Amino acid sequence: MEEMFDYLSPQWAIEVERKLRLELSPEKMNHVTSSMNNIYENCKDGKRQFFYVSFKDGSIDEVITGFGDGPKAEFIINGEYEVFKQISQATLGAQRALMTGQLKLKGNMVKALKLASLVDRINKIIATIPANY
Amino acid sequence: MSNNFVIDPYFIDFPKRILEIQNEMAKKNLDVYLGSRLRTMSWTTDAFFPWRAFIVIPAQGLPTAFTFVIDAARAADDSWLDEDHVLGFAPMGGQDQISQIADFIKDLLPSGKGRIGIENGMSNYLPEGNLTHYEYERFSEALDGYILVNAHEIIDRLALIKDTGTINRFKEASRIVDIGHQAVFDAISNGGWKGMTETEIAGLASHAMRKAGSVWEWSFTGGNEIAVGKRTGYAGGACTPATNKRIEAGDPLMVDIHAMYKLGLGDHSHNYLIGPTSDRQRWHAQNFIDIVELTLKAYKSGITPSDLAFEMMGFAEEKGFADFMVPGFEHGIGMLGDEWRIGMNDGPFPYWTNPDHVYQENEVLICAMQYACPDESIGFRYENPIVIHKDHCEEMSKFRLSVDEIL
Repeated sequence: MEEMFDYLSPQWAIEVERKLRLELSPEKMNHVTSSMNNIYENCKDGKRQFFYVSFKDGSIDEVITGFGDGPKAEFIINGEYEVFKQISQATLGAQRALMTGQLKLKGNMVKALKLASLVDRINKIIATIPANY
Repeated sequence: MSNNFVIDPYFIDFPKRILEIQNEMAKKNLDVYLGSRLRTMSWTTDAFFPWRAFIVIPAQGLPTAFTFVIDAARAADDSWLDEDHVLGFAPMGGQDQISQIADFIKDLLPSGKGRIGIENGMSNYLPEGNLTHYEYERFSEALDGYILVNAHEIIDRLALIKDTGTINRFKEASRIVDIGHQAVFDAISNGGWKGMTETEIAGLASHAMRKAGSVWEWSFTGGNEIAVGKRTGYAGGACTPATNKRIEAGDPLMVDIHAMYKLGLGDHSHNYLIGPTSDRQRWHAQNFIDIVELTLKAYKSGITPSDLAFEMMGFAEEKGFADFMVPGFEHGIGMLGDEWRIGMNDGPFPYWTNPDHVYQENEVLICAMQYACPDESIGFRYENPIVIHKDHCEEMSKFRLSVDEIL
């Protein structure tokens, strides 16, 4: 039976890191060096959680989840837990969520546009991880 | 060992400009300056911002410009600021211009309080770029607790006297305009004008000027302004976007062309009479030449627009052509976006030229005159960027002052 992970748990983060390393080569990630911190508002218990991922020269550097605001990052994306959940389940596109104001991006928009397709690749991989939401 | 330093004649010390703004901000107790006018964007960034743009200048350190995301990378490439200081806004959560800039300012002023200089007012110049009422309301909401203070006079004062690099950019743009005028002269001479429209003349001038290095016929008045026949002599008029009107024998022809070089602006008008020419047309033309020559002799530091208008209108009255003179002899000019008003906003009518503005050395303005006789369908225009010196003015465009008769 396929292992299930609690969404945003440390085990889920480890699985995300494993899958990203396995499926995203530095070439596929355009040798990008960047970091992104998704800040989830109104999680199940009403708390704030984060999901941080960073790349160095296209290779996964860190994947961290936890409570609170999390580490500083080049891009910070704020939104409701329910919105991020839909993105992680591939029922809502990240770009649509941004364009409809469901997510709020902080960071250099021009650089963000360059990374948009890479973020889509990451989200598609995350969507394959079985999780309890 | 030889000294191989090449001095760029068009160099402008933009970091120094920012420091000067920050010094003025400190005097006015401003924590941040939020510029939105096209003239401010040009003067601070050295880049052309055709889309809505803002610049946030902190009390210390580098400024950051914001514009529509589709043009941010290009603007950053053109500017002395790097891509981390020219940001794009877009209709996305947190990335629309109000949210993005308000968040940026809040990061600069995390105490939740502060005085923010803004640019408000009115202008004859449509693309001026003052903060709109809507933008003001939204920024006020997004920056609750902060105080927005109109502070455009900081830029206006600092930009008034032109530095050498700016003047040289204007001179180069004027040199290019002269090439455009020569191309027009060559094309219309010896019957070349037959069948030509105003727009064709505008286009061939543009072609010659672009070949010579101009990047834009920058004027918002339709680029190059060309007028033939009655369109040269609109009552009180001085704005003629080119049309498809064809040149006819016996027409006056007004060629008012514009070039831009590194945001420095060329703007010079030359006038023609297409043969056969009547004595009456020659009389009008000579009046026009006489008053332009006299005006150019009069410009120097210490005089005012009203002094000059009084003297010139007196001359026109004495010579019997005052009825045909539009009583204005100048308009303001600076790096792209700085057009129309002369000097500071300190005259009797807000945001219009102060008639008692005292010209100072190294001010640049457009010496501008319009001679118009609508009843006889004839008019002439003079425009030329000039630098004010202690006891004279320097014409930047060197194309001959004449009304050429063309057959």
